[in-house]
Amino acid sequence: MSERIEYDVSLIGASPSNLALAHRLVELASRPVRIAIFEKAKQIGGHLLSGAVSNPRVIKKLFPDWDKGGFPLQGICSDSYLSMVGIRRWENIPRLLTPSYFKKEGYAILCISDMASYMAEELQKRAAEKNGVIVDMFPGFAAQSIVFEGDRVIGVKVDNSDNGVRDICHAKVTVFGDKGFISRDLVSKYNLRKNPQVYSVGVKEVWSTEKSFEGKVWHILGYPLAPGHLGGGFIYGCKNNQLVIGMVMACDSANPNMRPPQVLQDLKKHPYVQEMIRGGKLLKYGASILPEGGYYSLPDKFAVDGAMLVGDALGTLDVKRFSGVDKAMESGYVAASSVWEAIEKDDFTQGTLNSFQPRLMCGWVGEELRDARYFKRVFDDYPEILGKMIPDMVKSIDSGKGPVWAGAQFGLSDPLGSLRLLGARKMVESPSDKGPAIYRPDRTHINPNYSETSAMPEGFDQSVIYSTADVVFYAHTHYEEDNNHIEEFDANVCVDCIEKFDAAGKDTPCVGDCTAEVHQTLEIDGKRRHAMALENCVQCTTCEIVCPFENLRVKAALHGYGPDFSGM
Amino acid sequence: MSDGLKIVVLIKQVPDTSSAAGVNPDGTVDRVRARKMMNPFDQFALQKAIETRNAHGGEIIVVSMGPPPALAILHEACEYGADKGYLLSDRRLAASDTLATAFALFKTIEFIGNVDIVFTGLQTTDGDTAQVGPQIAERLDFPQVTYCEKMSIEGRTIRASRIIDGGIQRLEVDIPALITIANSASRLEHKRFYNVYRTRELLRDKQTLAKTVMTITLDNIGADPARVGLMGSPTVVGKTWKLGEKGGSCKMFQGDSAKHGVETLIESLSEDERGIEEYVL
Ligand SMILES: Cc1cc2nc3c(=O)[nH]c(=O)nc-3n(C[C@H](O)[C@H](O)[C@H](O)COP(=O)(O)OP(=O)(O)OC[C@H]3O[C@@H](n4cnc5c(N)ncnc54)[C@H](O)[C@@H]3O)c2cc1C
Ligand SMILES: Cc1cc2nc3c(=O)[nH]c(=O)nc-3n(C[C@H](O)[C@H](O)[C@H](O)COP(=O)(O)OP(=O)(O)OC[C@H]3O[C@@H](n4cnc5c(N)ncnc54)[C@H](O)[C@@H]3O)c2cc1C
Ligand code: SF4
Ligand code: SF4
Repeated sequence: MSERIEYDVSLIGASPSNLALAHRLVELASRPVRIAIFEKAKQIGGHLLSGAVSNPRVIKKLFPDWDKGGFPLQGICSDSYLSMVGIRRWENIPRLLTPSYFKKEGYAILCISDMASYMAEELQKRAAEKNGVIVDMFPGFAAQSIVFEGDRVIGVKVDNSDNGVRDICHAKVTVFGDKGFISRDLVSKYNLRKNPQVYSVGVKEVWSTEKSFEGKVWHILGYPLAPGHLGGGFIYGCKNNQLVIGMVMACDSANPNMRPPQVLQDLKKHPYVQEMIRGGKLLKYGASILPEGGYYSLPDKFAVDGAMLVGDALGTLDVKRFSGVDKAMESGYVAASSVWEAIEKDDFTQGTLNSFQPRLMCGWVGEELRDARYFKRVFDDYPEILGKMIPDMVKSIDSGKGPVWAGAQFGLSDPLGSLRLLGARKMVESPSDKGPAIYRPDRTHINPNYSETSAMPEGFDQSVIYSTADVVFYAHTHYEEDNNHIEEFDANVCVDCIEKFDAAGKDTPCVGDCTAEVHQTLEIDGKRRHAMALENCVQCTTCEIVCPFENLRVKAALHGYGPDFSGM
Repeated sequence: MSDGLKIVVLIKQVPDTSSAAGVNPDGTVDRVRARKMMNPFDQFALQKAIETRNAHGGEIIVVSMGPPPALAILHEACEYGADKGYLLSDRRLAASDTLATAFALFKTIEFIGNVDIVFTGLQTTDGDTAQVGPQIAERLDFPQVTYCEKMSIEGRTIRASRIIDGGIQRLEVDIPALITIANSASRLEHKRFYNVYRTRELLRDKQTLAKTVMTITLDNIGADPARVGLMGSPTVVGKTWKLGEKGGSCKMFQGDSAKHGVETLIESLSEDERGIEEYVL
C-alpha cells in the first residue's frame, strides 16, 4: 500500500480565513472532496488571538442565525467611543466628529478563539451531511515547511518521524491562512511582495470585572503611547462581566524597547480604566501581530501553482477601519470559489487558482483596502500628527479642556500646519492617487539612541498591574523539553548587537520588544550573550520582526506547544 | 507466531481528572456525565508496547472493558500507533469488581489467543487497586513483572527491572508474560501524523474498521456471566464518604513583579507571630 497521503485541499491554520474557506467549499461541493486542516495549536483556536470587534458581514453569510444563539458572540456593540486620553483625563470625542469607520454599533464582539472552535465543530457537522465530503482536522500538527516539486507546491511537511513520506501531507492545492508563519517562504521564493509587509504588535488582557460593560467599545488615542508612536488602545465590554483591554503599537518605532506588555499595564494605570477593573480579576493574557501594510503590501499574485494565500498571510487587514477578521473571512469565502473552480477543471495551476485575486479585489475587500491605501503613509508624510497634534491635544485635555476645544486650539496655534493637515485628512478619507506607499522593513526604524519619556498617572492601584514575567503566566504556555522553536542564526551577531545597544544604555530589540520575556542577555565566558527562555513564548513573532540583524526565526512549534488562547 | 510478537495492552477509560464536570455533590463520580480519558497510567504501558513492537516486530492489540463510549480510547490508541483493538462491552459486566474484571479480561486474552506479552498500567486513577494485572497473570499462568520500569528482550527471555522499596530489582522471565508498567517508565510519545491520518481513514472505512477495532461480548469470549458483574463480584462496598475539601487556605502574593510579591510575602510573614523560621522546613 502506498504511504503517500493526499488530500484535494490542505488548509494551513485553522484560522478565520481558512475556516470560512472550508465552510464555503463544503457548501459549493457538489461532488466528493477531501479537505485537511492543520493547526499548530493543540486545540482549534488555541493560538488565535484578536480584539475583536468586527462587522459581521461574512459571519451572516455562513451563519444566518448568528445572533440568535449558538454562534459564540461576546456581545453586539451598542455604544462605541473614540477616546482621547491624557494621563489624568479621558474624553470621548463627540459622535459628530467621530469618523464613521470608528462607529462600531451593531458590530459583533468576538473571541475568535471560541469562534474558530465553533466553526470547526459546525464544519464537521455540515461536511457529514454531504456525501463524500471529508474534512479532517489535525490540531497539534504544525506545517513546518513547504514541499515543492519544481516550482509547484505539492504539500507541506507536518511531522518529523524517520519515515519521510509519512510526514508529508500532499494536496492539489495548499492554502495558507497561517499569518505568514511558513507562507513567508512562499512569498520569498516567488518574490511575491515587492513592498515589504509591516507590522504592529498587539497585546491583550481579559478581565473579569464587578460591573458589566457588555456592548461598550472604546478605541483609544494618546496615552499611554509616546509621541510619534502609531497605535492605540482598545477596550471591549463582553458578556459575563468580562472586559478586554489591549494595546496595538506599530513595530516601525524608533524605540528599541517598546515593552508592549508594560505599555498595556500603563493603560491600566489610567484612572478611567482603574475604575473599570477595580475589584476585578485578570483571566488571560496574550499577544499577536497585525500585518498592517494593507493595499501596497499585498503580493503581486495571490496564488502560485498549487498554493494560495488568505487572511493576514495575504495581508487583508485594513488598519483604517481596524478590520481584520471580516476581511480575512471574506478572503477565505471568495478563495473557496476559485478552489472549487480548480477542482471542477482539475487544474490547480496559478492560472486557475489566481482567479481569486480579481475576485477579491473587485469586491468590498479590494474596495476598502484601496480606500485605506494611504492610511499608514499619512503618518510618514505628516509626522506632526503623531509627533505634535495628538500630544498637544492630549495635553490640553489633561488641562481640563474638551476634545473640541483642544482641536480648535491646535488649529489656532498653528493655522498653516492645520491647513496642511487637511491634506492628511483627505489622504485618509477620500484619497486621490499619489503613487504607491513604499515601506521600509520595521527593523530599519530602530534607533539605539531613541529617547522619549512619557509621564505616568499617579496613585494607581498596584494590585492590578503586573510585571511581564508575571503576566505571562496568564498566557498558560506549555512546552516540553524537546522544544526548540526559535532559531538564532549566529551567536556572534548577537554579541555585537548587545554591545551596540548596551553602549546606548538600551536592551536589544528582541529583549525590549518581546511580549513574554523570552529573550535575555547573560554574561557567559566574559561576554554578554543572547539567551532565550522559550517556555514563555506566546509565538507572536515580534522578536523576529524587530531583530535589526535578521538573526532570528520563529518557527511553528511542534506538538501543539505554545500558549492557550482559548477565551481570547 | 513467526513474525514478531503478539502484544496486548490493557487500557481503561476513566473520568478526566482535570475536569470538575461530572462530580456529584457528595464527591462521587457521575460516570455518565464525567468527561473521559485514557487512564494516564495505561499510557506508559502503551508506550512500552510501541517500543517493544518497534524493536522486535509484531502487532499491538489494545483491549478495554467498558461501556460503548470506551471505543474512543481504542481509537485514540490507534492514533498513537496501536494496530488492533477489542472492546469487551456487555451489560452483564456492570458492577464488576477486580475479581470479575480480571476474569473477564483474562477470558478476552484467551479469546485473542497466542499472546506473547500483556502490558498493563500500574493502576487506574478511578479504581486505584493495582490488582487487575496481577490477577490476570495468575489466571493466565503467566509470569508477571509488576512496577516494571525498563525491559529488554532476547530470544524468548525478558530482562526487566522493577521498582522496589529503596531500589531496583532485576529479573528475567520467559515469554509469555504479563508486565505492569511503572509510571516512571518512558512517557507516551506524541502522536505521529501518519498514525492519526491512518486512524481517520480507518474510522471511515467501516469494513476494515469492523476487522480492526471490534466490540465483543461475554458470549464471544465464552465467559460465564455468573462470574462477572454484580454476581461475580464478592467485594462489598460498605460506605463511601467525602473526605472534605482539598487543601487548606492559600494566599496569593501578587504584585507588579515577582520581587514585589516576595517582598510582601516576607513582610507579612514577619508580621506573623510565628516568624519566618517556622515556615521554612
Ligand atoms: C491584539 C489584536 C487585536 C485585533 N483586533 C481586531 C478587531 O477588533 N477587529 C478586527 O477585525 N480585527 C482585529 N485584529 C486583526 C485580526 O485578528 C486578524 O486580522 C485575523 O485574526 C486574521 O485572521 P486569519 O484568518 O488571517 O488568521 P490568523 O488570526 O492569522 O490565524 C492564523 C492561524 O494559523 C495557525 N498557524 C500559523 N502557522 C501555522 C503552521 N505553520 N501550521 C499550522 N497552523 C499554523 C495559527 O496558530 C492560527 O491559528 C486584531 C489583531 C490583534 C493581534
Ligand atoms: C472498594 C471498591 C469497590 C468498588 N465497587 C465497585 C462497584 O460496586 N461497581 C463497579 O462497577 N466498580 C466498583 N469498583 C471499581 C472496580 O472494582 C474497578 O474499577 C475495576 O475492577 C478495575 O480495577 P481498578 O480500576 O482498580 O484497576 P487496577 O487494578 O488499578 O488497574 C491496573 C491495570 O489493569 C488494567 N485494567 C483495569 N481495568 C480495566 C478495564 N476495565 N479494561 C481494560 N484494562 C483494565 C489497566 O491496564 C490498569 O492500568 C470498586 C473498587 C473498589 C476499590
Ligand atoms: S536576536 Fe537580534 S536583536 Fe536579539 S541580540 Fe541577537 S541580533 Fe540582537
Ligand atoms: S520570543 Fe518572540 S515570538 Fe516569542 S513571545 Fe517573545 S517576541 Fe513573541
